[in-house]
Amino acid sequence: MNLAEGVQTISFALLALMMIGAALGVVLLDNIVYSAFLLGGVFISISGLYLLLNADFVSAAQILIYVGAVNVLILFAIMLVNKREDFSPVPRRWIRKGGAALVSVGLFALLGTMVVQTPWVIPANLPATTSTLIILGEHFFSDYLLPFELASVLLLMALVGAVVLARREYVLDDEASVGEMPQLPLQLPERPKEPVALSGTSAPSR
Amino acid sequence: MDFANLASQLNAGAILPEGIVIITLLVVLIADLIVGRAADRWTPYVAIAGLLAAVGALYLGWNRLETVSFLGSFNSDNLSLVFRGIIALATVVTILMSIRYVEQTGSDLGEYLTILLSATLGAMFLSGSEELVMIFISLETLSIASYLMTGYMKRDLRSNEAALKYLLIGAASSAIFLYGSSLLYGLSGGSTSLAGIAAGIANSSQSLGVLISLVFVIAGISFKISAVPFHQWTPDVYEGAPTPVVAFLSVASKAAGFALAVRFMTIAFPSVSDQWQFIFTALAILSMILGNVVAIAQTSMKRMLAYSSIGQAGFVMIGFVIGTESGYASMLFYLLIYLFMNLGAFTCIILFSLRTGTDQISDYAGLYQKDPLLTLALSICLLSLGGIPPLAGFFGKLYLFWAGWQAGAYGLVILGLLTSVVSIYYYIRVVKMMVVKEPQEMSETIKNYPALSWKPFGMRPLQVGLILTLITTSLAGILSNPLFNLVNASVADVPLFEAAVPIRPAAPVSLQVPATPLSAVVPQSAPQAQTLNVNLRS
Amino acid sequence: MNSGIDLQQSVIEILSNLGLPPGVAKLVWLPLPMVLMLVTAVLGVFTGVWLERKISAAAQQRIGPEYIGPLGILAPAADGLKLLFKEDITPGNADAVLFTIGPALVVIPVFLSYLVVPFGQNMLISDLSIGVFLWIALSSIAPIGLLMSGYASNNKYSLLGGLRAAAQSISYEIPLALAVLAVVMMSNSLSTIDIVNQQSGYGILGWNVWRQPVGLLLFWIAALAECERLPFDLPEAEEEIVAGYQTEYSGMKFALFYIGSYVNLVLSALFVAILYFGGWGFPVPLEQVASLLGVSETNAVFQVVMAAIGIVTTLLKAYFFIFLAILLRWTVPRVRIDQLLDLGWKFLLPVGLANLLLTAGLKLTFPFAFGG
Repeated sequence: MNLAEGVQTISFALLALMMIGAALGVVLLDNIVYSAFLLGGVFISISGLYLLLNADFVSAAQILIYVGAVNVLILFAIMLVNKREDFSPVPRRWIRKGGAALVSVGLFALLGTMVVQTPWVIPANLPATTSTLIILGEHFFSDYLLPFELASVLLLMALVGAVVLARREYVLDDEASVGEMPQLPLQLPERPKEPVALSGTSAPSR
Repeated sequence: MDFANLASQLNAGAILPEGIVIITLLVVLIADLIVGRAADRWTPYVAIAGLLAAVGALYLGWNRLETVSFLGSFNSDNLSLVFRGIIALATVVTILMSIRYVEQTGSDLGEYLTILLSATLGAMFLSGSEELVMIFISLETLSIASYLMTGYMKRDLRSNEAALKYLLIGAASSAIFLYGSSLLYGLSGGSTSLAGIAAGIANSSQSLGVLISLVFVIAGISFKISAVPFHQWTPDVYEGAPTPVVAFLSVASKAAGFALAVRFMTIAFPSVSDQWQFIFTALAILSMILGNVVAIAQTSMKRMLAYSSIGQAGFVMIGFVIGTESGYASMLFYLLIYLFMNLGAFTCIILFSLRTGTDQISDYAGLYQKDPLLTLALSICLLSLGGIPPLAGFFGKLYLFWAGWQAGAYGLVILGLLTSVVSIYYYIRVVKMMVVKEPQEMSETIKNYPALSWKPFGMRPLQVGLILTLITTSLAGILSNPLFNLVNASVADVPLFEAAVPIRPAAPVSLQVPATPLSAVVPQSAPQAQTLNVNLRS
Repeated sequence: MNSGIDLQQSVIEILSNLGLPPGVAKLVWLPLPMVLMLVTAVLGVFTGVWLERKISAAAQQRIGPEYIGPLGILAPAADGLKLLFKEDITPGNADAVLFTIGPALVVIPVFLSYLVVPFGQNMLISDLSIGVFLWIALSSIAPIGLLMSGYASNNKYSLLGGLRAAAQSISYEIPLALAVLAVVMMSNSLSTIDIVNQQSGYGILGWNVWRQPVGLLLFWIAALAECERLPFDLPEAEEEIVAGYQTEYSGMKFALFYIGSYVNLVLSALFVAILYFGGWGFPVPLEQVASLLGVSETNAVFQVVMAAIGIVTTLLKAYFFIFLAILLRWTVPRVRIDQLLDLGWKFLLPVGLANLLLTAGLKLTFPFAFGG
């Protein structure tokens, strides 16, 4: 075993330990903020594993997207929700926990057996490459072109949907809730100062 | 690989219908952005026109010589064309019934149409994709759009709750599906195309890894078609979500799920066809029993239709699991008919709830006195869903059960017949409630029923949708010849089943119809289908 | 620095000649560049702090640090020493673990980014193929650390500061990445070496600043926001939220934030020099001049001189931008938080996209000038 292999083995062991430890922490800790931070640790460990697999661009993208965007967003959501609620302890909680543990361990055993048993097919002629980025780009614009382009529609739609969900809603004055809406006062807390009467432009009064 | 060479290899004409849908989507979005709410008057019609144009493009693509496009990502064969047509038509009818609903709830129509069109796009792509990445992205396009639409009425707490439940369960099922897919990628030695996977796992077909990935993939698909036991989200989502969205989910999303199931199972898993047929048989049995039995106890119309749709999915799965050509054809035929009768039922529910604000079954009592058209349409659609002759649903079920009987799946067919009887009970209960009640037994809601008016904005399209589905549901069964030809041709032209179809002893070789009570009541459809099958063989 | 060609090979050779086995020699070599870079970064911080104080003083017509060393040059060192000896306080009810990890998480990615900063053809720690993307990815870790310290301080100003910092950092990362992407598109590579080489050959005329003026502005604004420099220092806006996420920190933990912010500033300035101002390239194309004069490129003296000129040029360019940042600090008032987010999302982002589109179009039209 030369220096490079030794470094790889040790790094793999460290990363695997980090990842499993952090992942267990995410699931088992009661404090949701700790869980969120540890989730960042899981993501970083995964990116380290990608690096060990020679996928340098994927690894950096993993950090940028999962740590820099997803995890920060999760933390934002947690920290901006200022509702403190003490959960009353569920009676016989250990039964549920035990059940969950049993299922998880069973699933782990099954998948572990599968991983060990399966004769994994490893392509013989793995091309030695220095720049994974160029290969990725070629795939994106040849055989994975359609999913790549469809993803842009998906993102556009997600963007529109996020705006719809997040923006403040103008309250219709004349058109009270008919239909399946509950007959509650239809007001959001952030009702704008001057409710725009939409009856002029919107169609119902045609 | 230069640009011209690549462009010629892509065969991009195969996705012309989807291209039209994308352009429509952009037109609607930009028009809404620039013109504002005034654009609501015409954007729905733009969307409908675009979808109809897409259906026209699908028609032009029939019997295309070169079906594989984008280097294997997408296959625009006739089977996918029929599925895509079902989805596009379902969206057209959904838009017809949405306009008034969305306006009346004070939400924005432009964004609603955008999200609905992208869901359609995802479903259409899902029907033809033959490659794992493409499947996953189109599946997610459909799913995320569905979550968004479910939560679209954001001032309605039930809508929020439904969206959250749907999102959480859907994300979990996507993750499971993805895990199964990644296992397949590894097992096949790094192939993402379904055919490549089939080749890669052909040698190790009985290994634990293949079976686990099969189960995971089926779990992901079953979530989309809401087969028991992956159905838990269905009643809650159907109850909370806006009704047009429910209509869309119950038809288009389900059709896309079936398209995915057919393609994935037959192409990627021919080597374990016994196993997946067994799993889907179990799912079909559970869905038929649970869906139809629990539906009896429902008091809310939407919940009842939710469970009924679970049961209907069970019926459709009969056609899928038997794995014969007539089985697939009957499944497509039933989905086509189900499109109209289910959407018709939802149109009626929307109309009723727009006028009265409720969807309790008991509130329908005596509706006949006030609104005969609505009563007629709802009765026809429900009876058709139950399978009463001579409505379309009867022929659909007949064909399904006949195909199942021919393939030797006697148990499934008998169970289907029994649960159909159960379903007729709860459908007729509603019809009886509407029609038979004496004036003094009318519900309070019906007593205060508003005067009929088709004047307000968005009511005309609703009326058009109502009449359209009503006529189709009534006549599609009797005039079913073109539909039969369509589905049979779509199944026949696809080479993929040749390898996948297991050799069954009771494959439709024999012309003499077995002396079953079923065949005795078959006046026209069964022999017809048989002759077609004979034609295929020759 | 005795060679411009391959420092690693020569050091290992020297060590092997001293009698060490090659494996050990390599092991000895491995940490050397890293330590060197760490020292360089810290020295850069000292210089930056000193410049900041001197230029600030000049801007306000004061003298600034004067007595500690010649021209007060040792003042930053004294600052550091003071912080080192201060008591390390963890506030009551604070979350001690997160409170400690937070500053480290802010600083480590910044130092790691120096992996890809080149001072010459072979003078960088690692010529990664993802190069500049590594910097962008690593800089996205910092908000986690900021949120962590803000949350752990058990102080609402800290929490607000942390949230502001994270929001700002996320918003400005996108225009920053878009600006970098336009440059990358021209050089067909993410590697910092390739980006600099693509600009070399024509001296000052070949620099990206002429081809990417909009990109430079975008990059500079976004980089200032990433470094939380005025006019974007909202996370520590003292009039509003005391000192933001740093409020409860003292001693070495505070010093980590302090060092981190200056290292980040130096890093950003270095990247401006690399991406837009030709990196180590001299304004006059020295190679051509040398070949005109008949000096061989393999001449050892020439190589050493070139390497030295490269390092000095890079640093001079970088410190010019640090000077600019300090000048901006005393020229521009602070923006409000809503203005900050509006600027990021509604102005810089569309401009960045338009710039990217324009660059792509120009690249297709004039492949010669825009790196076809």
